[in-house]
Amino acid sequence: MLLRDGLIRLLEAHDFEVVAAVGSGPDLLRELLAQRPDVAVVDVRLPPTYTDEGLRAALAARAEVPGLPVLVLSQYVERLYARELLADGRGGIGYLLKDRVSDIGEFVDAVRRVAAGGTALDPTVVAKLLDSRQRVLPLDRLTAREREVLAQMAQGRSNAAIGSALFITEKAVAKHTNSIFAKLGLQSSEDDNRRVLAVLAYLET
Amino acid sequence: MTARTRTTLAATLCVAATVAWLVTGRGEFWPRWVYFGVGVVLVGRLVLRRALRVPAGRRRWLALDAAVCALVAGVDLSVWVLSGGGYFWPIWTLLGIATILGSHGWVVSRPPGARERELAERIAALTRSRRGAVDRQAAELQRVERDLHDGAQARLVSLALTLGLAGDLVRRDAEGAARLLEEARGTAIAALDDLRTVTQSIHPAVLADRGLGDAVRALALDLAVPVTVTGDPPPDLPPAVQTAVYFAVAEALANVAKHSGATQAAVAFGQTRDTVRIDVTDNGTGGADPARGTGLRGIIGRLDAIDARLHVSSPAAGPTRVTVTVPREPK
Repeated sequence: MLLRDGLIRLLEAHDFEVVAAVGSGPDLLRELLAQRPDVAVVDVRLPPTYTDEGLRAALAARAEVPGLPVLVLSQYVERLYARELLADGRGGIGYLLKDRVSDIGEFVDAVRRVAAGGTALDPTVVAKLLDSRQRVLPLDRLTAREREVLAQMAQGRSNAAIGSALFITEKAVAKHTNSIFAKLGLQSSEDDNRRVLAVLAYLET
Repeated sequence: MTARTRTTLAATLCVAATVAWLVTGRGEFWPRWVYFGVGVVLVGRLVLRRALRVPAGRRRWLALDAAVCALVAGVDLSVWVLSGGGYFWPIWTLLGIATILGSHGWVVSRPPGARERELAERIAALTRSRRGAVDRQAAELQRVERDLHDGAQARLVSLALTLGLAGDLVRRDAEGAARLLEEARGTAIAALDDLRTVTQSIHPAVLADRGLGDAVRALALDLAVPVTVTGDPPPDLPPAVQTAVYFAVAEALANVAKHSGATQAAVAFGQTRDTVRIDVTDNGTGGADPARGTGLRGIIGRLDAIDARLHVSSPAAGPTRVTVTVPREPK
């Protein structure tokens, strides 16, 4: 409730129009299907069960409206949930710790990215992805720099954004991404989102 | 009837009988039979109460038996004395009583049967595990308190202080205030991090959201070694059981990652009519010793409290298999 009011204020201050604010899983699903918003910001835990009601409602809505952009917020990030959210391979998915809301610029950026069909995965999830499979997957063939680029990429950043985050040129980023794709045996693509999904799909196998 | 009225009544009866005997010409001393009747009632009451003070069970029955036998023996002896002695006929009752009491005592003192031994062991195990559970709970609460105190609480204090300073500074030095606010944001996030760690250590969020099956799948995803999870636990497992099994599997998987050198691990849920079984296997080097690790000992304590058993099979050349079996609640 506290967070919802704060978020409405924050989003309206950044030129978003809030078409609906609801407080339970069933209400959320109904509104998502009725309003078909450009993007929805959803808490994982909602009444009535206070378990993963919000997540289930988001998944149900996306089953009805493929690719409906949803940014899921939670006190915890779980790879299991990230995988479920990404499973339909359609993008328009964000999954962030609630803490990230405090970095207004980053957060608003993430909302816009998800609305545009991109992804915004919490760095914690990405870090877990990269840490846990290093020993057994060809990821250990990546250089340290390439791994940094991959981490940024998995969060849904474009080459330009990655370049400015790592203080390298966009061209250098493109070189790294191509090398990553080659080492992981993936076809490169201009589409940011497919890129991330491909990386994730690979890591999940 | 209070003790006082009882005594008064008994004394009155005896005195009245004696007076009546005095008044009616002092023939044969019959009031002794009145004394005898009153005495039997009083003494009988006394020994029965004594016997009933023994804790319930076989020993109380023996005590009651002994009390009744003593009373009968006392009555017979008194009657023999009061009726002037002669042929010692109470010998027969005394012999009978001794036989009855002796065999009863022998039965009671015999070692308990298999069923009874089993029950006694079970009671001992329950007492132990209950004490363990209480101790563990107290230690756990203490740890949570310490973690909150040293972590989130300390950070929130510092957050309040920083916000106060920023408020103080905001008019005179906007730039400095902005710096402090940024610092405050960092502190708030660190406090959230601390809280997350503490709450996860009490009850993991996925376990609360999805139950044991998905919680174990989430664990498996986070492990450095690839883990396959097969089967599902029955959905009606009580929350306490789910939590204990979850932490057991978490510990087993953590050991796989830390010690086994395995490249593959598997968690399998299975069930029979009256048990649920969870196997954690790996293809590592083996040689795991449950007596050595403190982690596993804690887990065994937790499992004890829900009547579950942990079995580790880990030959020197591997592989290692950790099995948890949980009895199902009778339907």
